[in-house]
Formats: sequence, C-alpha cells, structure tokens
Amino acid sequence: MSSEARDLIKKYLPDSTMSRFGKVFTDTTQFMNIDYSDVIKLGNEHFLVLKNEQERRFGLSDPKYWVKRGKHLESGQPQILKLAFYEKFPMHIGPFEIQCYRSPRKEARILELVKGDTRFMQGCSRDDVAGNNVRVLDIIRGKRLDVVVHNIPVDHKTYFHEHFPAILEKYIDSCEAIRFLHDHDEKHGDIRRDHLWVESGTGDYRWIDFDYAFELYENPFGLDLFGLGSILIYLAGKANLTMQTMLELGTGSSILNSLNGGDYSIVIGNRIVNVQKVYSYIPNSLNNVLMHFASSTSVFYATVDELLIDMNKCLKEIKGL
Amino acid sequence: MTLNKILVAFDGSENSFKAVEYVGNIVKHCPICGVSILHVERLPDKDLFKNDEEWAIQCKNNENEMSIKMAEAKDILVKLGVTADVVVAEYFASCKSPFHDTDICATGRSIGLDILRIRKEGNYDTLVVGRRGVSKAEEFLFGSVSTKVVQSAADCTVWVVS
Repeated sequence: MSSEARDLIKKYLPDSTMSRFGKVFTDTTQFMNIDYSDVIKLGNEHFLVLKNEQERRFGLSDPKYWVKRGKHLESGQPQILKLAFYEKFPMHIGPFEIQCYRSPRKEARILELVKGDTRFMQGCSRDDVAGNNVRVLDIIRGKRLDVVVHNIPVDHKTYFHEHFPAILEKYIDSCEAIRFLHDHDEKHGDIRRDHLWVESGTGDYRWIDFDYAFELYENPFGLDLFGLGSILIYLAGKANLTMQTMLELGTGSSILNSLNGGDYSIVIGNRIVNVQKVYSYIPNSLNNVLMHFASSTSVFYATVDELLIDMNKCLKEIKGL
Repeated sequence: MTLNKILVAFDGSENSFKAVEYVGNIVKHCPICGVSILHVERLPDKDLFKNDEEWAIQCKNNENEMSIKMAEAKDILVKLGVTADVVVAEYFASCKSPFHDTDICATGRSIGLDILRIRKEGNYDTLVVGRRGVSKAEEFLFGSVSTKVVQSAADCTVWVVS
C-alpha cells in the first residue's frame, strides 16, 4: 500500500468507496505486477487501474495483463491503457501460419494519424519513465458489428432488403478508412469481425486494435484486404456460412448439393463465399465482389480502391432494388 | 546468338541461385554485354523491433548475409564460364535504409515493380526471376514477385526459372 496512491484517489475521487490502495507506478515494464487499485503515472497524469482486460475466445476468458481498464484521475474519464508487451506469436489464417508481432509504436503512430477520425478508436500514447510506450485509449461504448448483425431479429430476406443497404453503406465508409491507412503506408494488421464496433448512440462503425505487425512484402496490404472481404461475406450472409451453419439453418438439400469447391473461400476452406447460391436474391454485383475471395477466382483485388469501386457499384444497385 | 544485357533478380533463396545457374548455362557460350545480379533490398519491418537500434542491427546483418550470397552467385556464373568482366552484382538499397543515402532506391512497395523499374532504367533486354511456386491462396495473401513481374513486364523478355 502506498499513501501516495491513497492521497491521489482521495483527491480526485473523494466519493470513492475504495478501501484498498495500491502503489504508484511510473515504470510499467513489470505490467504483471500492476493491478486493481494501483495508479499509473505518465508525465503529470494519473490513471487508476481497475482491472485487467480479458480476451474472450471459444467460451474462455484469458486476462490480458498488458491491457488495463482504468480511470483518468484528473478528468474522471474511464480509459484503457495498453502497456508495452513485445509478443511474437504464430497467427493461423486458414492453412497458413504467419509470425505476428505486437508493436506498441505501430499502434501509437496510427493513433496519431487518425486523431479526430471517428472511424477509428481514439487515444494517444505516452512514454513512461523507462521509455515504455503506453497507449491511452478512449473506451468505445457499443457492440461488435457482427454481433449487431447477428442479433437483428428477422429472416435473411427481410434483413437483406431492409437492413443490409444501410449496413453496406456504413461498411463502405469503414473500408474507406482502411484505404486512408494504406494511403499513408500503414496497415490495420488485424481486420476481423470483432475489431469493428458499432458505437451506441451515434451508430458509427469504428475500427479498434492496430498493434499487429507482420512481415509482408510483395503484397503488404493483402491481409487487410482479405479481412475486409471476410467481413463483407459475413454481412451479406448475416452469418458465417459453412456447411454446418447451413444445416443448422435448415437449408434445402438442392442448395447444399449445388455447392462446389469453387464456392468456398480461397483461404478458409469451409467458409461459403458464393452467398448467391444460398440466397438467390443476392444481386450479381454484390456476389461478384464476394467471389473475388473464392477459391475459383482468377482475379484478386490488389488494393482497397479496387474493392471500393465494386462495392459502390453494388450499393447503387442494391439501393435501387 | 547475341544477348545484350541480362538482369537476374536475386533474393538469396534457393530458387534465385537456380536462376543464376540457369543463366550461366545459357549464356556461357554467347557473346554478351553484361549480366547483372540484382538484389532489391527488403528491409525488415521497423514495427517488428522495440527500437531503431535493434532494427538497424538486423538491417546490417541482412545486408552482410546478402553480400556473401551475391558474391557466391557471381562466382557461380564465372565458374560456369561467363567472362568475369561482364558480371556485376548490384545491391539496390531501400530508400529507407539506415546505411545508404541515395536518391535511386527501392521504394519497398513492391519488389516486383522495383525490379521492372531497374530493368527499364538500365536498358536490360532480358529479365530473369526465380519462382517459388506458391499456391493461389498464398499469392492472394502474400503476393508473388514473379507473378507481379510477369503481369507487369513490357518491352523485355522475361525468363521465369523454377
């Protein structure tokens, strides 16, 4: 216990009912030791640590000790602090294994680049006294886009005609945000469904988590493009369409029998990309975009620009349906 | 038969050594103006390192390793019978290199396009690239230098060696 932490909490949070007071950390190198009731001091600002963030996958929760949920004492704002953690781990994409690196400075650079751009999470970075880059992030109140879409309580046909056009329009805006990064020689690095959030109140779509870096050379934006395509396929299908989910949805055998190898993802072999075969009212203009990510394609999108041109064409058609 | 200037793209891989050998066996009996073994520098991504110092050390190690391999490639051509005078090893540094300060440099956006630019500026009439033989999915995600070269090459002959 430190009287310094207690004094800070009493000063800035006089109504706090906290009975435990930790230490003040100016060096975050040993982030495992920083926990509830500790205070992280960056420059002249103080952040009360409330808990470690959790990663929820496959029904399990793993604490992310380098990501702290906290409160900025001077303003009272809840914030997330991402501490420097130089992790290197294999990432699996379909049959491929790619070495992935967590890069605090990449995320810090992008935060600076997108400052004020609400298509992205917002925040800033500071160095602690040991030179560790700490990213101080605003919390986005909302839900993952895929969860929002999944929970729309209508059948696919109603969803596609009544909800999808507006969703596609907003998603195009999200793709333009990624193009903005690429235009500045930056990659998002981890475009997947749980990294695009819908903010409560505004309904804005916002990208989160930019700290993944890879060694990608001849096609540096290929992974981002693949991620954008995968989300679009999910949005068009209102689900992750696989043979298993098709069976769960009670899809007719004539449709199931019509699917062939070329209708599945070029990278994730069990994911159905040819959504038109499942839902015949999907227009060609949209299905053609999706099929660029199918194993039968001979033409790839080289840039987000190319993808956007086709998506805008299909938005026009869908809005006129 | 007269071949004028040949540019062999070289990344130190087994396939690029194969390309060098292939060129040596073809041109050893031909009058030729020049064979350039070209390496376009591919710097490691800075974001993979904690700081610029660690990154610069890796850049230097990579360059040293590549210089040794390029010397080996040059020796292969000479041993196969290509006149030493016409063989050049060219290390084309990245514009972001911490050690080379030059206006003529690799952009880092696409090795394939950098190779084609150098081919054009150096008036090479033949361009040789090795081929890894990647799957369609790998090409989609990670790209392919040889595919980029073949798709984008104009006004030159391209040999793809696999």
